[in-house]
Parts: sequence; structure tokens; C-alpha cells
Amino acid sequence: MATLTIDGVQVTAEEGQTILDVALENGIEIPTLCSHPLLEPYGACRLCVVEIIRRGWPRIETACTYPAWDGIEVNTKAPQVMEARKVILEMMLSRTPNVPIIQDLAREYGITEPPFPAEAPDEKCILCGLCVRTCHELVKADVLNYSAQGIERRVGPPFLEKTRQCIGCGACSIMCPTGAIEIVLEQEAVYQEKPLGPTSAVWVPSLQAIPRVPVIDKDSCIHFRQQDRSEGKIDDACMACQMLCEVDAINFEQEDEIIELDVGAIIVATGFEMWDATKLSQYSYGQSPNILTGLEFERLSNSAGITGGEIVTAEGKEPERVAIIHCVGSRDHNAHEYCSRFCCMYSLKQAHLVRDKTDASVYEFYMDMRAFGSGYEEFYERVQKEEGITMVRGRGASVEVLSNGKLRVKGDDADLGELVHVDVDMVLLSTAVEAPHDSSEVASMFGLSRKPDGFFAEAHPKLRPVETNTDGVFLAGSIQGPKDVPDTVGHAGAAASMALALLDKGEVVISPQVAIVDEKLCSACKTCISLCPYTAIAFVDEDNVARINEALCKGCGTCVAACPAGAITAQHFTTEQIMAQIEGLFRVPAEVEEGVKA
Amino acid sequence: MNTSKTQKHRADLLVSCVHDRAPDLIPALEAEVKRRGLEGEVKVVEAGCRGFCSMGPVLLIQPDGTFYVNVQPADVPEMVEETLVKGRVVERMTYQEPSSHACALYEDISFYSKQHRIVLRNCGMLNPASVEEYIAVGGYEAVGKALFDMTPEGVIEEVKKAGLRGRGGAGFAAARKWETGRKAEGDIKYVLANGDEGDPNCFMDRALMEADPHSILEGMIIGAYAMDAHQGYIYIPYEHTLSVKTMRNAIESARAYGLIGEDILGSGFDFEVEVRVGAHSFVGGESTALMHAIEGTVSEPRPKHIHTTEVGLWGKPTCLNNVKTWNLVPEIIGKGAEWFASIGTEKSTGTQVFSLAGKINNVGLAEVPMGTTIRELIFDVGGGIPNGREFKAIQIGGPSGGAVPASLLDMPMDYETLEEAGSMMGTGGVVVLDDRSCVIDVARYFLDFLKDQSCGKCSSCREGIRYMLEMLTNITEGKGKMSDLEVLERMGKSVKISSMCGLGKSVPNPVLSTLRHFRDEYVAHIEDHKCPAGVCKALIEHYINDQCNGCGLCLRKCPQDAITGEKKELHTIDAEKCIQCGVCFDVCRFDAVGVR
Repeated sequence: MATLTIDGVQVTAEEGQTILDVALENGIEIPTLCSHPLLEPYGACRLCVVEIIRRGWPRIETACTYPAWDGIEVNTKAPQVMEARKVILEMMLSRTPNVPIIQDLAREYGITEPPFPAEAPDEKCILCGLCVRTCHELVKADVLNYSAQGIERRVGPPFLEKTRQCIGCGACSIMCPTGAIEIVLEQEAVYQEKPLGPTSAVWVPSLQAIPRVPVIDKDSCIHFRQQDRSEGKIDDACMACQMLCEVDAINFEQEDEIIELDVGAIIVATGFEMWDATKLSQYSYGQSPNILTGLEFERLSNSAGITGGEIVTAEGKEPERVAIIHCVGSRDHNAHEYCSRFCCMYSLKQAHLVRDKTDASVYEFYMDMRAFGSGYEEFYERVQKEEGITMVRGRGASVEVLSNGKLRVKGDDADLGELVHVDVDMVLLSTAVEAPHDSSEVASMFGLSRKPDGFFAEAHPKLRPVETNTDGVFLAGSIQGPKDVPDTVGHAGAAASMALALLDKGEVVISPQVAIVDEKLCSACKTCISLCPYTAIAFVDEDNVARINEALCKGCGTCVAACPAGAITAQHFTTEQIMAQIEGLFRVPAEVEEGVKA
Repeated sequence: MNTSKTQKHRADLLVSCVHDRAPDLIPALEAEVKRRGLEGEVKVVEAGCRGFCSMGPVLLIQPDGTFYVNVQPADVPEMVEETLVKGRVVERMTYQEPSSHACALYEDISFYSKQHRIVLRNCGMLNPASVEEYIAVGGYEAVGKALFDMTPEGVIEEVKKAGLRGRGGAGFAAARKWETGRKAEGDIKYVLANGDEGDPNCFMDRALMEADPHSILEGMIIGAYAMDAHQGYIYIPYEHTLSVKTMRNAIESARAYGLIGEDILGSGFDFEVEVRVGAHSFVGGESTALMHAIEGTVSEPRPKHIHTTEVGLWGKPTCLNNVKTWNLVPEIIGKGAEWFASIGTEKSTGTQVFSLAGKINNVGLAEVPMGTTIRELIFDVGGGIPNGREFKAIQIGGPSGGAVPASLLDMPMDYETLEEAGSMMGTGGVVVLDDRSCVIDVARYFLDFLKDQSCGKCSSCREGIRYMLEMLTNITEGKGKMSDLEVLERMGKSVKISSMCGLGKSVPNPVLSTLRHFRDEYVAHIEDHKCPAGVCKALIEHYINDQCNGCGLCLRKCPQDAITGEKKELHTIDAEKCIQCGVCFDVCRFDAVGVR
């Protein structure tokens, strides 16, 4: 603990603190552009110069580098200090005349105009070195450093050329006080890969997340991404969040884990996936950045998205005309034959968003308008009448990218009975939804069956819409077929209540008619296992036999009939019993036999 | 023929400055000696720098002391015939004093006789590649004395009594540095030799490393013993290839004699030393920048609120001294502190090597006691100003120093007095200016040098150089404003106090010192649009006066064909075509070309 005087005020300092640290703690302002609490002091901008009197000797030093030693006296506003700062700011403003933070600081010191003509008026870099130190100390990538000496000094990667060592983390850009570093996303923009993914490396997955705490996205977190070319992962790369978190809540060791639970009921809710629009080449998806799927458009118009919610084309301009094509991949013999159900309504909503945020004309190419929900028809009426959207009834047939960058949408207008086309700046494809690509694995894991369209089969389409043929396993939402939000909520509610009803029973009564394996006869051929529709048969490796889970078995007899060794019998339904019943059927009653005799 | 080490030769030919100027000289000498069958009698030695640049290549014949200047391969047969065979001096090859009498002997030449050579004691006197020759002149005796007869504290005490100040420029007391280094806690300590000489026109460190490498090593061994360090590094710029080669060779040959390595001379003291090479720049000689370079990072200074003697190279206590400082240590230990302290002034003891450049007859390296006056250095040792022109000022201390005007000609040169005059000792670079040198142009030259020799880390130094240079350039081009002078002064003062390292703090010195002593010249440039020295091209005009006899020499030499005139008639210069290059002025033998 040291005691020193700053501007006549006695203050105390901890071991390792600098004068700047202590001054800031005590509300004494010292201007600085090159210091940052996460980085080692550097002393490049020289704005924090102060007068320090130590052992009777006055000297001018930078507050950001000078240790807060015991007994020193600091004057942050000594006349020669103020003059030195003013001279430095005059030179900085001449170097970077159009940087607001420099302009503001200069104004504080009474400088309104740069005293020298600027060599490059667009210059923003003041060579404070924050980016270089961030890249070296935090990111540990060492991509940035200084090149050339003296007045030619500049910051950049080696030889000022692109380097693969840069992971594009953007930390340098965030640290830069003057906005001199811009991160340019090349070709594959992040949002295209992960439309609903994290917007930063530390994020809350959704506002409804439970518990609602931030998590680290390992794909974008510098700490996890930073690799050394030869030695692999750098363990101490960027730990800025840990250094800043006052309650020590950051744990880099925490891993995703698999938790095993014994449960009484399972609700399977895998949702849907978007169909890949490149599969139908006539829509030219992927050939122009201005052809977007509905989901991409959602990202674009989201206020947390890359444009801050502004609807602009890839060229950064507001579109003049926008076409929306319905049923892309839905109701199509070449893709999915089913209707994806909710595209009509989101297409109308997106037409509304375009009209609301821009002056663009909107053309909707649709086959039938399926506005079936509560209030849907009214919304459909409203966008047509009040917002002036042009509805073209007839499938949008193709999109062509013209040489001037415009997009030509051709279609069939069924009302006019002729082919029409319109040249637009942006095309939104209302693409189909489909069952997730790994549905078959999920199906076999839970012993569920799927319908020809790929979605999961319910036990009965009308009477048991959330149950499956496997007891205790229920479906919720779009796993069973495309659903909009109200339908999904309703379906999920039903699944939850079915599961609760089952759990509430405490115990269940099952039919005693189940199959059993005569383990002496089982030849371990495993034929039965794949045939069982209820996943009730498991193969026990230790005993080398198939064994039946009696709680799951419905006694359907499929395995009994299929077992080549005749090892499986259905209890209460054995061959002997059946034969006995047959014999019983054919036996002439005694009185009849007696009557015949008589 | 027997040419072993023990062979006594009749004469040694010590040849200096052959590298750039006459690479064929030594082969020519050797061939001629062999042709005349003198191989066993005469030995040709490639000695290091003798410091007499304006006269090189020079040749000293020992033991008789005959000294030849400007020796060329073509002179060799005559020289060998006359001097080595017949024992006669070749008059035309001897040095002519400006007082116009020929000096055949080394000791008679005033450039040498008026010097006091301690640092340069062995330079040019022995073969730098031979450790035996160094030992033969008493080398490494001081190491023996220190290791066996003195305690480390005793060594530091001796250096303290000698009053030795670091020769790198700042003049910090060497013993205080060593003492802190010794007391600093740490299992590993380093001693470093700074061979990164950055001043333009300065080459004494290079000359020393190339001519007398062992004296530096010897000093480092003693220093390391005093500080309990066991590892040393000598930092040399990559460009100084001969220094690197000579130092590396010296380390290896010293190691062969057990003077470097484990258990030196059986004393139990271990010391390893290594040459480290880095990119050359003026800022690279700054102590922390140099340490960064050895560590392999960007060579730029860091704050030194905690001294490098406590936290230095790789965070360990480190003692860095200039190669000249290390070179003086064996002399102090060998001859004693009293002897050293008796030379020079009370506060600045010993001698200082000056690098003389500019408008001076004897360009080269000259070593004189501290406290010698400027007049003695320039006129007695340096031989005065060429062509009888008038002395105007000297710029001492290179880009970090400042100009000292003629009015202070009798000022003694030591650390304190020079600093009071707004200049500094620095590494001893001296640029002599005569009445035909423009001080503003010189200040501009130094800033132009600094603009890419500063590291560029501090905004004050980097941008200060940029804008002061811009203003000085404007003034020399006749575009200056009177308000610039006030801005230059303000900016200079602020840059001086707000920059981090010694370089940044001294960047404004050439500007501030010339503003202080030569303000009227600035005013002449700005208000009258005249360069009184006739240097700044935008402000001058060449003309031909009636002294012209029409010889036509200037007419033929003019690169712009700007001069017209019939033979034997007055010539004239076409001002439209003239680019003020000054060729006519230089070639005219009749003082007929003037500048206004």
C-alpha cells in the first residue's frame, strides 16, 4: 500500500498500480488514448503526461506507465503538462483531422482547427498500438505489428499482406479508439452459414433460455479458436471476459456433456429444417446475393442483424422492387408434394415488412392463398388493400440473373391466362420445410415410424395426434408435419398433458400377452430385433441371446412368426394354445355327438 | 622461409583503411615484398582504423615510424625500393601539414601528436585478428589483476574512483550502474556491449570493434566479474559485417587461451559472451530498444522507471555499456584510478573520442582529454577549416546534440558545459560548419535523418519530427512564416519533455540550439528570403563578377548549359536555366563566381 498525492489530494494505491489507475479510481481525469485495463501499459500516445515530483526532483512522465510509488507528488494539470498535451493534440489533429474522438479532445484543449495541412485526410490510425497489443497479449495471434520506422511507421500484418494466421476475430477493431480498423467479411458472410446463430462469442442463446445466462460460442470465441500453426491450441489465448468478470463466473473448462436420466415419458420435438433451394435450379438461388430465402430475409430485417434491420440489397441500396415467390419446393412434384403450411403467412408478413421499411413495390407469386388461421384472412386482405401489394396468382416459374445485376422473375398469371415477368432488385423465396436430415436416426432411437413425406407418424391422425406407437413417447410440433406457431403451441401443450397424464398414473397396467424368448433355442441371428416395431427386443451381448422388454412389447407376434429358430413364443398365444383352440373349435359337442348316436 | 610467430622481422608494414578504399593494396604489398625476397624481413599487417580519414589509406612502418598517406597499389614498387631496400623516405607520399612542411614520421604529425589516445590506444597499431599481439602489448593483464588481486566490490570502487562515465552519450556514472547491477536480486545477470552506433558521420565504435576487439572483451570480463554476471552479449548492427566478423573471431581466439568460457585463467569465474546481430537504426542503440532487439522483438524503447540494471534483458538485471566504456575498463584497472582521474576535468574524467566531419581539414577520429576547448580540437588537432574560410559553429552530439557557435570557441568540452550550451556530448560526433554552411539546412538534415531513424512509437517524437521537418523545409525553401519560429520553439520544448526515450527527448535539440544561437539566420530566410550562407537553393542566385577572365571552365562544367560567354570575355549565368548546383562556384579559380 502506497500513499501519494495527486493534484493535492492524498490517495492510496495498491502494489502494481500505475498513476493512471489510481487517478481514475479517484475520479481524477487524465486524457489517454493508448491505455486499456486489459493490456500492458505502452506509453505511445503521450497524452497522459503528468508532472511527477519524486525525492524533490520534478519530471514529466506518462501516468499510464509510471508506478504509483509511495510518497510521490503528481500534478496532472501543471502548465508545461497542459502545453505538452496541447502540442501533441495539435499534431494528432493534423494527422487525423476527421476522427471525432481526436476532434473532441482537441476542442477540450482549445484547438478548433488542425494547424498543419493533413497528408492524408482519411487517415484514422494514431498508432496507439492497442490493436497490436490486443493481438499479441490477448488473442496471441501476433498477426499485427508495426512496419517501417519513424514517420512512416504503420500497423498491419507482415508485409501488409493478408495472412491466414488472422482468424478475423475482430478484437483489434473493437479496441481501436479511432475506428481505423474495419473487419471485412469475405464472400461467405457469417450470417449465411448460421442464420440464427450467435451474434457474438458470448451470447444468450434465446431470450427464453433457462437458465437465462450467457454461454460461450466456441466456434467464434477467440480463446477456443486461436491455434498455433505448429503447436495447436494456445491455452492462454484471449481470456478477456475472465479478466473482466468481477464475480469470476467464466469457466473455460465447462464442456458439453451427456446426462443420463431415467424417465417415465419422452416428448420428441426435433422441429423442421429448411429445404435447400439450390436443388431447383430455375430459382437461381446462390447465383445472386439478392436472392434470399425467407429465413435469410428474417435475419436481414432483424434489428439485431447485420444491417441493424435495414432492408438493403447486397450493394447496400434500398430495393425498388421485390418479388416473393411462394411454394418454392412445396407442392411440387420435383421437390416436396406437401404444403409447408406457414409460408403463405410469413410471405405476407415479409411483404408487409418491405412495404413498411422501404418504398419498394412488392410482387407476390402464389398458387393458392392458404390463410387458414385466426385473423389470417384479415391480414391477407389488409396487405392487398392498404399496402398495395401486387398479387400474381400463378406459380413463379423461374428467376434469371440479368447482366445488370437485376433479377427477372417469370411466372404464369392464371387470372390473365398468360406468362408474365417482372425485373426486381431482390427475390425472396418462400422455401419448403422438411423433416430434419437425421430423422431416421431419431426414429430408430425411439422406435418411431415415419410417414412417406419424412415426418414422424402419430398413432392415429385424428384420434391420437400426439401419441406414437411406442408407449410413453409423444410428438410435439413440426416433427409430425409443418406447423405454424399457434399449431405448434397447441400440439406441444397436448403432448405435455399426455405425458403428465401418464406420469400421474403412478403405475400402468399392461396386457400380459407379450412375447418371450426361449433362450436355449435362440440362435443369436438378431432377425427379431430389426423387425420389432416397438424396439422391445434387445440383444444381450453377455448371454448372446435376444431378450424382450415386457413393458414395451405389445404382443403383436411379428417376432414370433419371423424367428427362424422358433425360439420366440407369444405368451397366452402359444402354438399349443392356438392348436388347442382350433381343436376346440372343431370338436363336436358331446350332446350333439350323443344326439347323432341317438 | 620461416615465418613462425617467434620470427623477428626487420620491419612491420601496418596498413589501415584498405577495406573500401584500396582492397588491392595488401596483395600488392605482399607480392612486391615477395618479389624482392624480403619475406623473412618485412611483415605486412592489416591493422585497424587509424582515424585519419582524409588521408587514407595510410601506412605506418615500424619500428622507425615512417608514415605514408594516400597509399595506392601503384606506389608500392617505389615505396619498397626506396624505403625498405634503400632506407630513404619517399617525400611525395608523406603527410603535408597545413603549415606546409612535410612530416615523414608518425609522431611528428600534429593530428596524432596533439591527441591523447587511450580508447584508440591500439587502433591501427596491431593486427586485430591476433590475440597474441594484444597480449604482447599488455592485454588481458587487467583481467588477471581483477580476478586474482581484487574483489568485485574493489573493481567497482576503482571504477568509481576513476570517475568513469558511460561513453554511449548520456555520460551516466558507470560504477553506479555496476553497483545497482551487483546489488540487484537475480540468479541470472547479463552484461551487454552496445556496438550499435547510429549517428550519421560517426564510426568510432565500429573502428574500435574492428581495430581493437579484445580491449572490449577484456572490459566485459572485468565488468561481469564485478557484477557477478556470467553471460554477455555484444550487439552489432547487421550492416557492420567487418565488426561482426572481427568480434566473433576475437571471442573464439580469446576462448582458445582460456580467457572466455568456464574457469577463466583458473580463477573459478565463468563468463560466456556472444555477438548478437540486428537491424541498424539510430534508435536501436537505445538501451531498452537494444534489449528488445536481442530478445527478438521490435527494436523500440520502453519506459525505464525501473532501471534496466534491475529489470533488463529478459527481465533480468542487465548492465549495458558502450564498447568504448568497456574498452576503458582494462586501462583503469591496469593503470589505476588516479591515473585516469588525472586526465580530463573533475566531473568528466578521461578522454573523449570525437568524430570530425564537415568543413575541417583533418576529417577522422580524434581523441582528446575531456575539457579540451573547441578551438584546440578544431584548429590544433583538426588542422582548421579548409580553404581559409571562417569557422561558424560546430554541431556536437549528432542529431541529438546541438550547434555551438563561434563565440563559444574557447568553451571546454565536457558533459555539463556542453549541455548548458544547449548541445550535448553524445557519442562525440562533430560536424564543423564554416561561413558557407547554413545552420537551418544542417538542422533540417538531422531531422530528415531522424524521420526514419526514430522508432515512431511516441506520438510526440514521431509527429514532432514530421511537423518540425515540414516547417524547416518550408523555411529553407523560402516559404516560412515568422510565426513558424514560435511554433518550432513551443513544439520543440513540448517534444523534449513529453517523449519517452533519450532519442525523442533530444530530437528538438538541433532546432532549439540553432534557434537560440542563430535566430537572425532564420529571420533572414523568412523575412529577407536570403540564405546568408548561400546554401538553400530556393533563396540564392549564382552570378559571375568582373574577376572573370573568360577561361571557360565553368561554361564547360555547367550541367544545365546556363553559362554563356566568348573566350577571354566576361561570362554570364542565365538565371532561368540555373539550378544553383554550385559547380561553377566550385571550379572557378579566380573567385569570379559569387552567390547572393
